[in-house]
Formats: sequence, structure tokens, C-alpha cells
Amino acid sequence: MKTPTLTDAGLTGRVALVTGGSRGIGRTIVETLAGAGMTVAFTYRENAAAAAEVIVGAPPSLVFAEAVDVRDASACAAFAEKVTERTARIDVLVNNAGVIRDNTLGLLEDDDVRVVLETNVMGAFNMTRAIAPYMISARRGKIINVSSVAGEKGGRGQTNYAASKGALNAFTRALAVELAPRGITVNAVAPGVIDTDLSRPVREQAGDQALSRILLRRFGRPEEVAYAVWFLASHYADYITGEILHVDGGFKME
Amino acid sequence: MKDSNITQDEIAAVFPKVAETMADAISCEIEKVKLDSSLIDDLGAESIDFVDIVFRLQRLFKVKIPRGKIVEEARGVLSEAEFEKAGVVSDAGVAQLRAFLNEVPAERFKSPLHVADIPRLFTVETFCKLVIRQQRAAAPAGGPPSA
Repeated sequence: MKTPTLTDAGLTGRVALVTGGSRGIGRTIVETLAGAGMTVAFTYRENAAAAAEVIVGAPPSLVFAEAVDVRDASACAAFAEKVTERTARIDVLVNNAGVIRDNTLGLLEDDDVRVVLETNVMGAFNMTRAIAPYMISARRGKIINVSSVAGEKGGRGQTNYAASKGALNAFTRALAVELAPRGITVNAVAPGVIDTDLSRPVREQAGDQALSRILLRRFGRPEEVAYAVWFLASHYADYITGEILHVDGGFKME
Repeated sequence: MKDSNITQDEIAAVFPKVAETMADAISCEIEKVKLDSSLIDDLGAESIDFVDIVFRLQRLFKVKIPRGKIVEEARGVLSEAEFEKAGVVSDAGVAQLRAFLNEVPAERFKSPLHVADIPRLFTVETFCKLVIRQQRAAAPAGGPPSA
């Protein structure tokens, strides 16, 4: 069998929507899917300058972005409509937007819990509800949720974040059941500690300890997560649904 | 009733496109799709098909149909508490539904009627009327353009 390359994965000319695409893992997912020949629409929360950087070098017809708060269901619906008006199709949804507000239980503010759950869980609900009708109607589509090792493995100071990612894993499995009869697959990628801005506090505070628990003894790179997303989006993964694919260097095993 | 003035002509005008939409979304033969067919009991629709049907109707007729629109309109002036209790539609609620869904034969209203079973009542005509009401709501002030 021929070795797969980014561009022969059946993604050329297809359309992806990625939430939270201006920085970190999301940005690398946008770049990777665009590199696979996809048209990519992505959302960002507030960092327009970072979003503009992602677009530099890509034809504006192929990569475009808009500030959307995924906690706002009507904003998600409006963006979905705008994207499909422009592209006339939607093949892949990557629910990547997420926030971290780590603290131990006693020190967590209500707002830390609310913002994390609303962004990481309700955000995925909102964008999925906006996009799913297009996929149901087309009888095809791939939904990929970016979860976290925290969804399955306990971590100090992460009750809110872990709860949100555990919910996202459960959401993934339940939605896979609902949408399978309509030809839509639903999977998640669960990164471990990846070298991004989001994980910097974790790596700075508990870097050595975290490293000692990762079988491969290094942090992950954003592209290592993006390739997993690319795989699940590609025709190579047509027979996979309801899976949580761990990209964590063996972190969850320890 | 708000929609008592929807005429048979108006329904007949939208029916062919609505029927085609139903057949495509539910993957059933178009000949099976009659005005009085129950989507679930006669055509075999599943709840996820309603998402598809509404999505397709919105695009085809260029109207907005918010989630839960039929039940919300059927509920009319009743508050949620007046309409249902613990998932069972109240007597007042059933009366309201019978009047609003006057295309549905009386014997299809089971007692007690659970809220979750309301979609079982919906017929192809229910959706024709929904489309017509939404078209009217979207029409410029002064009513729909004269033919």
C-alpha cells in the first residue's frame, strides 16, 4: 500500500470548520487541514492579530476566520450559515475551542467553573447543533472533538477542566450513536501535555513531575495532535466512530 | 385560530415541494407521502429526520423555523406550567393542540398525551401549514403580496 500523504486523504476540495483556530493546537489543525487541500473556516475568541497570522500565506478563499464566541449558540448558527453560503458544503467539524482555569476545588471561583464548562462543553454543543443539519442532510460528515487526557485521568487543580473534557468524551460517544445512521462519524482526539501557550503554566509548575509520568519522556508537539485530527477527518478513518484517540506519549498509561 | 385562514389552495401550493422534501429526508417513496400521513407512524420518520426536514424546508422556502416552533405556537397563550405537568399534556393543553393541529384526526390524540409523543401527531399538512405561517411572518408589513 502506498504511504499516505496529507494530500491524498480524500480531503482536497472539502470544507472544514475549526473552532478556536488562531493559536496552539487549533492553529496547527487549521494549517494541517489547509495543507491537505481543504478549505478551512475557523473561529477565534478575541485575538484577531493571531488569527490574521494563520491566514497569511493562504489564499483567502481557502482559509478564513471570524471572531465567534462558541458559548453563543446564535453566533455559532450565523457562522455556520455564512460558511456554507460561501462554500456550499461542510465536510468536517473540529470542536477545538477550549479554555483552562485551573485551581484546587476550594479556590475555584464559580466563574472559573462556568466559563470552562460553557466554552468546552456548551461550545461543542452549540457548533455541532449549528453544523449537524448540513451533515445530516448530506448523509456524510466527520465531527472531531479535541478532548484531553484530563478527561480520563485525574489531575490536581483540574476538576472543572477534567469535568468538561470527560463530558466531551461522553458527548462524542453518544453523538456517534445518534449520527451513525446518517453516515456521520464522531470521534475525539485526547492530547496529553502539548507544547502550547495553554499548557505553559502546567509545564512550568509541574514539568519535571509530568515528564516523569509520560512514557515517551517528552511533551507533545501541536502537529502530532493535528495529524491525528487529519487522520480522523480523512477517508482512512471512514470505519472509525465513537473513538477517543489518545495522543499523549503514553501519559494516561502511567 | 391564528392560522384558521390558511386556505386549501395555499396548502396545495406548497404540498408538492414539502412532499418531495419529506420523501428525500425520510428516504421513502414520494407516492406514500399524503397530506394526512403521520410522519412517524405512516412514513417511518425518526426524530433525527425532523432536524433534516426542517433544515431542508428552511432552505427550500427561504424561511426561518426555530427549534420547537410547532409546539411553541401550539401552546399559544398557555404558560408551560398550564400546558404540561411532568411531561404529560394538561387537558387545556390537549384542547389547544387539537385546535392548532386541526388537520390531525381526533382519534390520534391519545390520553394521557405525553409531551414526547406530540411529534407523533405531526402530519405532512402540519409542515405545510408551518411553512405557510413562516412565509407570512417573513412577508413585508401589509400582508403577503397579492397574487
